[in-house]
Amino acid sequence: MTEPTPTPDRNPGSLPDRKPIRKILIANRGEIAVRVIRACRELGIRSAVIYSEPDRLGLPVLLADEAYPIGPAPSRESYLRAETIVQLAVEIGADAIHPGYGFLSERAGFARLCRDAGVTFIGPSPEAIDAMGSKVESRRLMIDAGVPVVPGGRDPLPELEAAEAAAASIGYPVMLKAAAGGGGKGMRRIDSAGEFASAYRAARSEAGASFGDDSVYLEKYIVEPRHVEIQVLGDLHGRVVSLGERECSLQRRHQKVVEEAPSPVVDADLRRRMGEAAVRAASAVGYSNAGTCEFLLAKDGQFYFLEMNTRLQVEHPVTELVTGLDLVHWQIKVAEGEPLAPELEGIQPRGHAVEVRLYAEDPFQRFAPSPGRITLLRWPEGPGIRNDAGVYEGSEVSIHYDPMLAKLIVWAVDRPTALNRLRRALAEIRIEGIRTTIPLFQALLADADFLSGNMDIAMLDRKLEDGQLHPPAPADGTEDLPLIAAAIEHYERANRTAAGSPNAPSLRSRWGATARGEALRKSS
Amino acid sequence: MNLIVRHGEREEKVGIRRDGDLYEVTVDEHTWHVDAAKAGPGLRSLLVDGAQHEVAAAPCADGYWVSTHDGAGQVSVTDPLTHLASQNQGGKAGKRRQKITAYMPGRVVEILAEEGQAVTTGQGVVVLEAMKMQNEIRAEHDGTITRMHVQPGQAVEGGDPLFEMD
Repeated sequence: MTEPTPTPDRNPGSLPDRKPIRKILIANRGEIAVRVIRACRELGIRSAVIYSEPDRLGLPVLLADEAYPIGPAPSRESYLRAETIVQLAVEIGADAIHPGYGFLSERAGFARLCRDAGVTFIGPSPEAIDAMGSKVESRRLMIDAGVPVVPGGRDPLPELEAAEAAAASIGYPVMLKAAAGGGGKGMRRIDSAGEFASAYRAARSEAGASFGDDSVYLEKYIVEPRHVEIQVLGDLHGRVVSLGERECSLQRRHQKVVEEAPSPVVDADLRRRMGEAAVRAASAVGYSNAGTCEFLLAKDGQFYFLEMNTRLQVEHPVTELVTGLDLVHWQIKVAEGEPLAPELEGIQPRGHAVEVRLYAEDPFQRFAPSPGRITLLRWPEGPGIRNDAGVYEGSEVSIHYDPMLAKLIVWAVDRPTALNRLRRALAEIRIEGIRTTIPLFQALLADADFLSGNMDIAMLDRKLEDGQLHPPAPADGTEDLPLIAAAIEHYERANRTAAGSPNAPSLRSRWGATARGEALRKSS
Repeated sequence: MNLIVRHGEREEKVGIRRDGDLYEVTVDEHTWHVDAAKAGPGLRSLLVDGAQHEVAAAPCADGYWVSTHDGAGQVSVTDPLTHLASQNQGGKAGKRRQKITAYMPGRVVEILAEEGQAVTTGQGVVVLEAMKMQNEIRAEHDGTITRMHVQPGQAVEGGDPLFEMD
């Protein structure tokens, strides 16, 4: 681990007085609001939440010490009302605001409003958020700090010869990208120098035709990379530590679906080198509080900085389970001014943790959202299970917000044991009234690539596209089970209807139907 | 009760009857003896010859959404004796103009009402044979047959139009 780096905007000589936090306003909803409430209660801090109209009976409101209406359903008129939220914090005497993830968590302007109002923002400084929020500036800062970035540049390459020379110095394969592009248009992969000239001309004309601007730039093409990220934690005294990596390669349309720690392919040496790079990255912007540096990890073991998420991540629990730390406790402590404990340096993962994000989406219907009332809910329990849920039985899953219901996280001594435990835990879940992504995870747990830890960031989309994921084969002798269950349900419903529901066909007409049916059968 | 049950690629004739506290469920010539105890709304513990299965079955558009410990999926159930045209019209109940389609592949055995004929709720219109069972497709409401798409002996695919009524 590197030396603690004093940051320019702080004075490490005079530690700020520890400013105890007694009440936190949580500017979020769902499971992450619940997560922060739990930390507050454990630390003896009063928790206050805001809620939009449809969230009046949300789990955060039921668990919090205080709750305040913030507006109607649309986020813009509720959870994104930065000024109103800061004002509320002042009015109710909250010392600090926890932004969770999403919503206002990475808005430097919100952190600034908090600072101006004398309310502690539980997160990094607005300057750090700004610096990491700009792709161009953060890339420049990272290069200066010696953090590896994807080789290449944003400078347009108008001459073929210069472009060819740039490609040769980056090393093949390379990717030509339209400067005005996006959505994959004007992108072209080139594997060798021989293909370059014709691909270059084609990319430029495609870019010109699509965007009215034919300038292109070059980047190294990373073949089937993994997404591996490093959790960092910084205090207000210029010290930043790495808490190890998370493997987040399983993504559907750039949304993480399964996360684990440690990564199946990161050894102690790579962990140390990635951790050092992440600490350099964070230190370069004077980072404090919890944050995450995302990297692409190539097959040859090279890693490249992508971006830094300047907040608590959805997947932080896998790090908590393998380090034994409570990251939200630490977020609050460092916000109070407490220095990082020396034993956080060089921490190594113990065992293996896997998280799956349970969404109210139907994996059989192209992941269509599945809002509705949860009519039956039983979560898994027992050894090694952690469940961070934002809903309960009877909850209404609304169409207004992210459809994540819960994060199921398992811990075990090693990866195979953790995956078996995850399979067991998924089987225990009973959730009715809405569709969920549980069948997707059950299919993944039957997939040889996932089981062997062989993943890249495009693998899940590829497998879904090609129809390569299948539900696990039913155990011997249970093939008929779904048919039996459906037949029994149907039989009981039919009998219930017959036995006196006002909508039931009259006895007379049922007799008629039966007689007709009998006659039909005889005639056949 | 004889049902036509479809699950994934499978399509089976399933016989079910109550025998005291147990169900006798016959699937593909094998009879299962099932103790089905309710454990919650839509949730049952099934004891099938000693093996325990916790299973949830919730009604959905075309049958039941069945979740077991290993997975979930749609199981469609057709009861040929109580099959009303309304169950496969595709539109909202109460909509008067209807195109009635075949609920599964089969053969038209008999036409019971002709174009222009007035029919009353529950009156048989077309007899369809599928899975060796005959199923009468009946009018869901009082109205007139405006168009007959099929004739006796004709083979139809699931979703093919049978008749239209107002």
